[in-house]
Amino acid sequence: MLRTLRLLPHLIGIHVRTHMEYRSALVIGWIAQAVGYGGMYASIALIINRFENLGGWTWPQMALLLAFHLLAYAVGACISFVQFRDMEEKIRFGTFDAILVKPIGPWTFLAFSGLNIEYGGHIALAIGLMIWALLSLDLPWTPGLALYFAAAVASAAMLVAALMTMIGATALIWVRSRHLFAIFFGFWELARYPLNIFPAPLQILMITFAPLGFLAFIPCAVVLGKPVPILGDLAPAASLLIGPLFVILAAAHWRWCLRNYQGAGG
Amino acid sequence: MPSIIAARGVEKIFRQPRRLPGFIGGLRTLFTREFTEVRAVDGISFDIAAGEATGYLGPNGAGKSTMIKMMTGILVPTAGTLSVLGREPHSNRILNAAEIGVVFGQRSQLWWDLPVRDSFDLNRHIYDIPAGRFTENLRYLTAMLDMGGYIDRPVRQLSLGQRMRAEIAMALLHDPKILFLDEPTIGLDVVAKDAVRKFLAEVNRERGTTIILTTHDLVDIEEICPRLIMVDDGKLLFDGELKRLRATLGSRRRLTLEFAGDPGPIILTSATLTADDGAAKHFLLEDESVSLLDVLEELGRGHGLKDVKLEEPDIEEVIRTFYKTKPQLAGAAP
Repeated sequence: MLRTLRLLPHLIGIHVRTHMEYRSALVIGWIAQAVGYGGMYASIALIINRFENLGGWTWPQMALLLAFHLLAYAVGACISFVQFRDMEEKIRFGTFDAILVKPIGPWTFLAFSGLNIEYGGHIALAIGLMIWALLSLDLPWTPGLALYFAAAVASAAMLVAALMTMIGATALIWVRSRHLFAIFFGFWELARYPLNIFPAPLQILMITFAPLGFLAFIPCAVVLGKPVPILGDLAPAASLLIGPLFVILAAAHWRWCLRNYQGAGG
Repeated sequence: MPSIIAARGVEKIFRQPRRLPGFIGGLRTLFTREFTEVRAVDGISFDIAAGEATGYLGPNGAGKSTMIKMMTGILVPTAGTLSVLGREPHSNRILNAAEIGVVFGQRSQLWWDLPVRDSFDLNRHIYDIPAGRFTENLRYLTAMLDMGGYIDRPVRQLSLGQRMRAEIAMALLHDPKILFLDEPTIGLDVVAKDAVRKFLAEVNRERGTTIILTTHDLVDIEEICPRLIMVDDGKLLFDGELKRLRATLGSRRRLTLEFAGDPGPIILTSATLTADDGAAKHFLLEDESVSLLDVLEELGRGHGLKDVKLEEPDIEEVIRTFYKTKPQLAGAAP
């Protein structure tokens, strides 16, 4: 474990150096991502300004939701999305086999040697928007609430990384898994909006089998003191436990898939 | 010598969904739970001693790569026992990986955009190589593989031959006890192939590194591996020294007799005519005890013999003959 921790800076360092070979592309990528998300958030802001609120959420509250959604996603995805989205190719071209012959856990190698600093644009935009939203909302901050807020971001980021891992791991068995990412991003889009605007079956789905309601809506509702459908008073604890719980599930799923890995032939 | 790899009745069966033909069949495949079993490795047993260099040979789909993947801990055997350096490779994958080196001819382990040295440096940390040993090994490998001119260049700018030399060096930096090479000379030009073969033979001889090599280039086997394991359809066909294989198959030398003009049919008891081009007659000498002198004596004078060419069978010929006659020779395996 200690050896793995000592190794992490070297794994991250080599990937950062790879990105630095193409500095201009990296900076343009950051700007493009920030502009893309910024444009989308501006359109949501315009709609809310027209109708005053969305499911009872005002623009500053929505801005907090969007910023939380983007920050938690970016933190989780920077160690998982591209790495596990590309599992199909890694398996088909045998590069995953080359990872398995190294004396290191393959998840650790994949996640950290592929740490995606291209999410810098997402994180900068999310933090900027979050600061503006929090200042506008004038929340009754206590140490407990601040701690909950930070832990909820971490839990949501863990949920993202765990789901990405689980989806990527299925490629170890089926070779293909990219279609599952399309399903993930379908629910991820919905998770940008207050859960209460959706019909009940979808709300249940986004709290259970596709738990992206925990990515932003539930923690933000807890912080803002808004009611959480279905979960009610369980929402604060559930939003903190969901990340670690899915990490445990993802670790078990990853190990099972690895044990049953058959390669892609050749 | 003690065995460091021991395979006993190793099997690998891949379970695949049954594919039904045609469009309707394709749709039915979506809902069927029928599976077919593909036996990629079928009851293979062998021992490899420390310091041996062994060629693992077989046609495409023979189960070579699957066996290598099981020995390196990538795949789990379906049945049988497999021990590498006293451990089950798949259940001790990380410990096993620390003591072996693996080179895949068709997939790079180097960081494409970075100088070769950066990949080496990362491996230093992954394998926890002490600084002194790393520096010494790097100096030795750089000199032996002539990497000095490109070690600080990004991998993407290297030729295939340079890249393969760097891959081999990277696999040896941590002094592995066993080096697995999966088709290391594939795609290389003659000069690069020669450099790689000479180096691998040297590493095996001087450093005592055990080498297991799969290849389609039989010259690799001839120049690096005294021992040959041949497989087909997942089964072991031959395990022994290359020279024993030659002896098992007989010499099957080829003899060409060139005459000043067409001497007409020539029938010899010591050689079998395989082709008659008029002035040039081609024979096969299947009996190892028959010498060229015996043939010329039987031919006698008066045919206007101009030239004689006797060719020893090359390794490709030996292997081709082996696979053609394999049902009779399957007993050659111990």
